[in-house]
Amino acid sequence: MHNLLNFILKYNYWFLFVLLEIISFTLLFRFNQFQGSAFFTTANGVAGTVYKASSEVTSYFHLKDINDRLTDRNIRLEQQVVGLRKVLKAKGDSLQPIDSVSRVLFHTLSMIKANVIDNSINKRNNYLTLDRGKADGVKPEMGVIDGRGVVGIVYLTSAHYSVVLPILNSKTSISCKIREHDYYGFLRWDGKDPLHANLEDIPRYARCKKGDVVVTSGYSEVFPQGIFVGIVEKIFNSADGMSYQLRVRLSTDFSRLTTVRVISNSEMKEVRALKQQVAEGEDTNK
Amino acid sequence: MAFIVLVFFQVLVFNHVHLFGYATPFLYIYLLLKLNLGTSRAELLIWGFLLGLAVDIFSNTPGVSAASTTFYALLQPILVRLFTPRDSDDTIEPGFKTMGIAPFIRFIVISVLLHHTVLFTIEFFSFVNWTDWLISILSSTLLTVFCVIAIEGIRMKKKAS
Repeated sequence: MHNLLNFILKYNYWFLFVLLEIISFTLLFRFNQFQGSAFFTTANGVAGTVYKASSEVTSYFHLKDINDRLTDRNIRLEQQVVGLRKVLKAKGDSLQPIDSVSRVLFHTLSMIKANVIDNSINKRNNYLTLDRGKADGVKPEMGVIDGRGVVGIVYLTSAHYSVVLPILNSKTSISCKIREHDYYGFLRWDGKDPLHANLEDIPRYARCKKGDVVVTSGYSEVFPQGIFVGIVEKIFNSADGMSYQLRVRLSTDFSRLTTVRVISNSEMKEVRALKQQVAEGEDTNK
Repeated sequence: MAFIVLVFFQVLVFNHVHLFGYATPFLYIYLLLKLNLGTSRAELLIWGFLLGLAVDIFSNTPGVSAASTTFYALLQPILVRLFTPRDSDDTIEPGFKTMGIAPFIRFIVISVLLHHTVLFTIEFFSFVNWTDWLISILSSTLLTVFCVIAIEGIRMKKKAS
């Protein structure tokens, strides 16, 4: 007994070492599997405050650039609206549909404006931190977009901050389709190039070509239909040869994200609730 | 104090450095390198763990840095003993003066290499791409060693003047 006690006292640091390593790995695997470990991430209050302060300083450096891009985009969109109205008039249709569509969009979609306070693009798994959290209505699994396209999906939230899984994370998978043909697949990232992602599971009989526009499909109830994702750059066979894989040039520039919008879609909640009912029903039938 | 400064520098500056897309300096390990031989091993482990955890919380990698710094903290005293003269007393702080220039550099290189190997192995866990893994380890080790030596040099000059 005495010897045992001596042994434990002499090598106590080994036990400490094993204990600390177990804690580390528990954190590692918990973060990968469960949500709600927000305390150990940048959604944590202290980390959030530090990054917020730092981003408040650095955000000024990009202002001119952002302004230029916004102006460009505004001009393009205005031209587009004018062009579309002309086409509609020429066809003799009334302009009623446009107005009703925009009313529906603004009614069901509400956007929460948020600032990106921390961002990375060079790791295998990247994360964004936003300065909006539960208190502002942000919840896990809400979609995040910026002016140029899809950004990612909310992963963890604390009271005032949230962590987003951007497209540039190996865990992200977003349901997308080719705008012209409606063939859909899943957008995933291969962990290397922050400008490109792959659209997988496109059926072999799908006819697609370089330059096709990829948009969200609206099936995944995170994003509404038709939000811009990117442009097809290359088409090749998937590893198993059963489907096409498309290399997509992403429209969002992840290295320059500053302000984004979190989509909270009231209709999406209904869809999700229905799907859950179906899933539960299947479980009880078994 | 040095702890807070190092963590802040790591998460606000060094984490955003990616030379050639691979090399990132992980300078926070400097704190562990400099702990003197008199520190008890339990204390070393706790410092290592807290340091890693703090960096993890800020960079959304819970457990990755903590596991690797704890691992390094276990080996630190062994490595220090390996590179110091046998007759030196127990409270020396690793550095150019106490260890000599060549042994200290060797000590840094081996320490950093060990730490980075564990760090990147955990980070690449699910990735089979081992050439990326190797390049990341080697290039980051080079960069970290360079930064550590630079800081050490600056501190030595300050003390001398």
